[in-house]
Amino acid sequence: MADAPKIRVPKTAKKGEIVEIKTLMPHIMESGQRKDKDGKTIPRKIINKFVAEFNGKPLFSADMDPAIAANPYLQFSAKVNESGTFKFTWTDDDGTVTTSEQKIEVA
Amino acid sequence: MRAGIWTAGAVAIVVLATGVMTLAPANSQAKKEAPLVTDGDAAARPWKRYNGWPARDYSKFNTLANLASPPAPKEPRKIAGPIEGDAKKGAQLVADRNRGGSCLACHVMGPAGGANLPGNVAPDLSEIGNAGREDEWLFNYVYDGRVYNPETVMPPWGTHGLFTDDEIKDIVAFLKTLKAPAVFKTALDNPDKRAAPVEKRENLDPLENPGMWTVDKAQELWKQAGSKGAACVTCHATPETQFKSWAASMPKWEPRVGKVLGVEEFVTRHAKATTGADWLMETDDNRAMSVYLHFLANGEPIKVDVASAGAKAAWERGKELSARKVGQLNFACTDCHGISANKWIRGQWLGEPKGQYDHFPTWRTSLQAVWDIRQRFQWCSVNIRGDELPPDAKEYGDIELYLASQNEGLKLSVPGIRH
Repeated sequence: MADAPKIRVPKTAKKGEIVEIKTLMPHIMESGQRKDKDGKTIPRKIINKFVAEFNGKPLFSADMDPAIAANPYLQFSAKVNESGTFKFTWTDDDGTVTTSEQKIEVA
Repeated sequence: MRAGIWTAGAVAIVVLATGVMTLAPANSQAKKEAPLVTDGDAAARPWKRYNGWPARDYSKFNTLANLASPPAPKEPRKIAGPIEGDAKKGAQLVADRNRGGSCLACHVMGPAGGANLPGNVAPDLSEIGNAGREDEWLFNYVYDGRVYNPETVMPPWGTHGLFTDDEIKDIVAFLKTLKAPAVFKTALDNPDKRAAPVEKRENLDPLENPGMWTVDKAQELWKQAGSKGAACVTCHATPETQFKSWAASMPKWEPRVGKVLGVEEFVTRHAKATTGADWLMETDDNRAMSVYLHFLANGEPIKVDVASAGAKAAWERGKELSARKVGQLNFACTDCHGISANKWIRGQWLGEPKGQYDHFPTWRTSLQAVWDIRQRFQWCSVNIRGDELPPDAKEYGDIELYLASQNEGLKLSVPGIRH
C-alpha cells in the first residue's frame, strides 16, 4: 500500500481570506544519480509534477527535479473568494497520477 | 521458514502457570487473560543482523546473555625504559572514529589531530603532559585502566584488542605533548558550552513525522483477517476506548511465556493465537501495530507492574543486567546513561534513562525508519561493539521493564521523532 498524501486545508474561511495550505506526498524521490552495491545506477523515480486547482481552475503547477528530497512537502497560500474544492495532483515518473481533494467553506 | 518458528498448528492453549490454584475461579480468570501462543520464538531465528549495520563479529565479548570478555589484568604491565612512540600517529589515533570512537569521544585533548567535537564524559587531558605521569602509568591507563581504577568506565583498549601495543605507545607519545589548555575553534567545539539538544518537532503531526503514517497502515491491518478468518476488529471493535491506556502499562511480566513482554512481542503472540496473523517482531506490520497501540494510549502516564513476584524478579534482573559490561568497548547501560548521562560523547548527547522510553517506537529521521525499543537496545549493543540479542530475548524484556519503571509518570507520546 502506498502512503496517501497528507493535506492540510482549513475547513472554513472568510471571503477574500488568504489561507495556508500544506501538502506532503510520501515518495522516495530516487534521484537517478545513486548507485547500488554492485555499482549499477538506481533508476530515477521521482514525482515530476505537482498541480494545485481550485474549483477546476488551475492555481499553479510546479515541475520537480531530482534534487527534491524524499516526501516532497509544499506549503503555499491561496486567496479564497468562494466555497469550493481544492484538488492536488502529483505525477510520478512511472506515469502514476495521485490526486487528493479537500473542500473549504467560505462564509 | 516461518512455519519452523512456530510449532506447526500450535494453537495457543491458555495455561495458567501460576502453580496450584485450588480456589481460583479458573474459568473466569482464563477468560480475562488474552490468548497467547506461548511456545516458539517471536522473531526470526537464527537472528540476522540488520542490513547496513556493522558486520563485525563480537563473539569474544560479553553480551547481555553471555559472559565471554577476557578478564581484567590484575597488575599493570612493566614497561622498560621511556616510551618512544610517534606522537603524530598518536594524534590521529585518539580521534579515529573507526576505533570505537577512540579517546576524543570522552576527552578533550588539546589539538587532537585537528578533529572537532570532543566529548566531556571524562577529564580534559589537554595538559596531561604537565602532570608528571610515568610512561608506564600512561601506557597502562590506556591499555587497561582497570588496573588503577576498577570502577572506571574507560574501555580496556589494549586488553580488548582495540589498539595494539605500538599504537598505544604512539598515543602515549602524543599525550606527553599535551601541555596547554585546548583552544576551541568554535563555541560548539567546547563540550562544556555545547547546548543540550532539545526536540521541538510536532511528533504527532503527519506533515512533520512520517512515523505517523504507520498509524494509517495499522488501522488497515486492524481490519485485515488472518489465516483463521478473524481480524483484530473481530474482538476489538473500538480500539480507541479499549486501548486507551493499555500500552502505558507495558511491558509486563507474562508467566505463561516466562518473560517480560513488550507491546511488540505481545502483538506477535496474541495475533498468532487469535487471527493467525504472522506479525513477527521487527517486521513492518509488527512495528505499525506497536506504533498504533502506543498511539492509542498517548497522554497516559507510564505505569508498569513491578510489584508482583514475577515482575519484581524481572525488574531486579533488569537492574543487574543494565550494569553488566558488554561488548568490546566494555560499557554497561549505566555507564553511558547513568554515570555519564547528560554529557557529550563526541557529538552525541547521552540521555538519562528517564525520557528514553516514552516516545518509542519512534521515527528516526536519519534512517527514515520506525524503530521500536528493542531495535534501539540492539543498536546500543552493536554500537558498543557487542553482539545484539534477538529482539524477543528475555534479557531485553527485563531491561525494558527496568527502563519503563524509570520512566514512570511520563506520558506516552508515540510515534516520537528523533535524529
